[in-house]
Amino acid sequence: MNILVCMKQVPDPQASSSGTTVDSEAKKVIMPQGTPPVLNPYDENALEAALKIKDAQGAKVTVISAGKNMAKTVLRKSIAVGADDLILLEDAAFENMNSYETAHVLVAAIKEIGEYDLILCGRQAADTDAGQVGSGIASILNLPCVTAACKLDISDGKAMVQRVVSDGFEDVEAPLPAVITASSEIGEMRYPGVKEIMAAQKVRITSRKASDLGVDVSQLKKPNLVSLDSPPGRTTDCQMVEAETPEEAGADLAVKVRESQIL
Amino acid sequence: MALEDLRATVTRCSRCSYCKWIPFAHVKSWRFAKGCPSIEYNKFQSYSASGRLCASLSLLEERSSYFDEGLVDIVFKCMLDGCCDVACKINRYDFEPVEVMRQMRFKMIDNGCYPPQDMPLIDHLKKEDNMMMAAKADRANWAEGLGVKDLTEEKAEVVFHVGCRFSFDEELWRVPRTVVDLLNKAGVDFGILGKDENCCGGRVCDMGYRGEFIKYAENNIDAWKNAGVKTVVTGCSDCYHAFKRLYPEEMEFNFEVVHITEYIERLINEGKLKFTKEVPMTITYHDPCHLGRRGEAHVPWKGEQKKVRGHVLVWEPRRPRYNGAQGVYETPRNVLKSIPGVKLVEMERNREYAWCCGAGAGVRERYPDFSEWTAGERIEEAKASGAEAIVSACPHCERNFMDAVAEKNESLKVFDILDLVREAI
Ligand code: SF4
Ligand code: SF4
Repeated sequence: MNILVCMKQVPDPQASSSGTTVDSEAKKVIMPQGTPPVLNPYDENALEAALKIKDAQGAKVTVISAGKNMAKTVLRKSIAVGADDLILLEDAAFENMNSYETAHVLVAAIKEIGEYDLILCGRQAADTDAGQVGSGIASILNLPCVTAACKLDISDGKAMVQRVVSDGFEDVEAPLPAVITASSEIGEMRYPGVKEIMAAQKVRITSRKASDLGVDVSQLKKPNLVSLDSPPGRTTDCQMVEAETPEEAGADLAVKVRESQIL
Repeated sequence: MALEDLRATVTRCSRCSYCKWIPFAHVKSWRFAKGCPSIEYNKFQSYSASGRLCASLSLLEERSSYFDEGLVDIVFKCMLDGCCDVACKINRYDFEPVEVMRQMRFKMIDNGCYPPQDMPLIDHLKKEDNMMMAAKADRANWAEGLGVKDLTEEKAEVVFHVGCRFSFDEELWRVPRTVVDLLNKAGVDFGILGKDENCCGGRVCDMGYRGEFIKYAENNIDAWKNAGVKTVVTGCSDCYHAFKRLYPEEMEFNFEVVHITEYIERLINEGKLKFTKEVPMTITYHDPCHLGRRGEAHVPWKGEQKKVRGHVLVWEPRRPRYNGAQGVYETPRNVLKSIPGVKLVEMERNREYAWCCGAGAGVRERYPDFSEWTAGERIEEAKASGAEAIVSACPHCERNFMDAVAEKNESLKVFDILDLVREAI
């Protein structure tokens, strides 16, 4: 069984919020100096789902990532946890692509690989939160797509998927090959040991440029970011409700909340 | 500050190589004349301060890239101990080689170019708030049975910040336990944050992860504010450097920061601490870099760089000068000298031109062989001084020396100043 996992390198979502600033003029988010990029946490979940299948029934897991100036040390973490191959699609033109273009570039690599039974992605990226690449890949390849998976079982050439929906869970069956996007509930990525991390640095990885993939870079569209601003500052005002009894305090509080039109 | 703002240093380095040696006026022998462990161990120009300035110029001019092979090794195989900085500033007082090397690290980290062995350490730090790969829940085990005030529940004017190494290195627990004993005896109203104490972030900042450092600095300041703290006492030089230099550089900071040796000297001078027993021993004192040359207090400065007479660069107003002169050197020596029976002898390289212990800026964690070699060099120097023990004021130096002594099967003893103080009371 061949599983492909699409992986994005993102700015650390756990970075200090006070140290993160927005440059409205350059329309850029400035991370605090000295903050390394990380693997997109949802993509880590997708990789973990792939590794679980590999553990249970054996599979070849290939990780694909597209971008510019990619941090190989960071991306090699996927090999350290158990992926068999890492393919980097690296090109200056692959910077800041919109989701659909990213899906196109990934599909070019997927077609080159040729053999696959399952394509896994994270449900969304921690930086843009767009959540469109997975469905984009599925639509270009004309494959079934199941999003926000929290459980995944593969048997008899079918994927049994449980999805997270707003009011509970939904069980879906999809024929393979299919594209499935993983939610965090599917499981946190296992942690590699130092030995595995060091060994992963020596594994040969494949690098492909736009021209290798036959991608026409002039056709790649960048998202048109209209404006980027810091969220408005929040002010807090604390008023204590004084009353004789808790019941009275509760009633007074309800009146205040209604008066101030919070509820 | 950013690497781009340090062009004046980067472009004007004359490759004189002073940065590889201790200040020439202090050289006593060929054997102990070198100041930079990195160039001495790696024996290649790029591994000196001057070599790294060269590399950073190439990066600034975009002649090379942060992703180039070999750059990770060059940038991170260095303790940021700052001996180069002291030697360089003898002739080039306005140069900032250590600052350039720090900024290079930040840039490397921003690009995700770092030694892969960092990964478990940093991920663990994010989860457990310590640099020792230990569980946060065990952080206060060293204080068991001491009944120290818990500042997450009570208030006190003084917080004893123990630090990661002292909190989790069982062989060194005797030191923080002695601190508690001494502060109690002297009637100081103090407390600890116990298992809620966080890493100071200083080491991780030197390793290049300034983003992590900022989070810890903010958390620590908040915790101290909530506990009504005015003074922060620490026995760890890394923490001292973080609080004294890095925190005020980055954010509003209104606490007095005192290293435990300074506190002890204060108690001795006030007559609150008296030594009654002899400790007959010939010892030498190892200056921890982060208490000495890198432990100088932050001096606020805002200004700009100007050119006068067409080519001379000046800063207006005058910039504070960090050349190691204001580090803590005499205090620990005064404490040691006041212990009856102790004979203090100096190593050839001391004070602002002391040889590093090898543990700093992540080298112990990243490159254990280099770290141990550096400690071994210091052990040789201590032996040559005729001392029977090497005494320091930092748990990181002590752990590195203890390991090097054990590895080399040496008989030299390794102590913290507090060990001798405890014996003398
Ligand atoms: S860094 Fe300073 S001491 Fe070293 S070569 Fe350059 S000018 Fe000379
Ligand atoms: S900080 Fe220390 S190891 Fe690094 S270049 Fe300077 S003297 Fe050498």
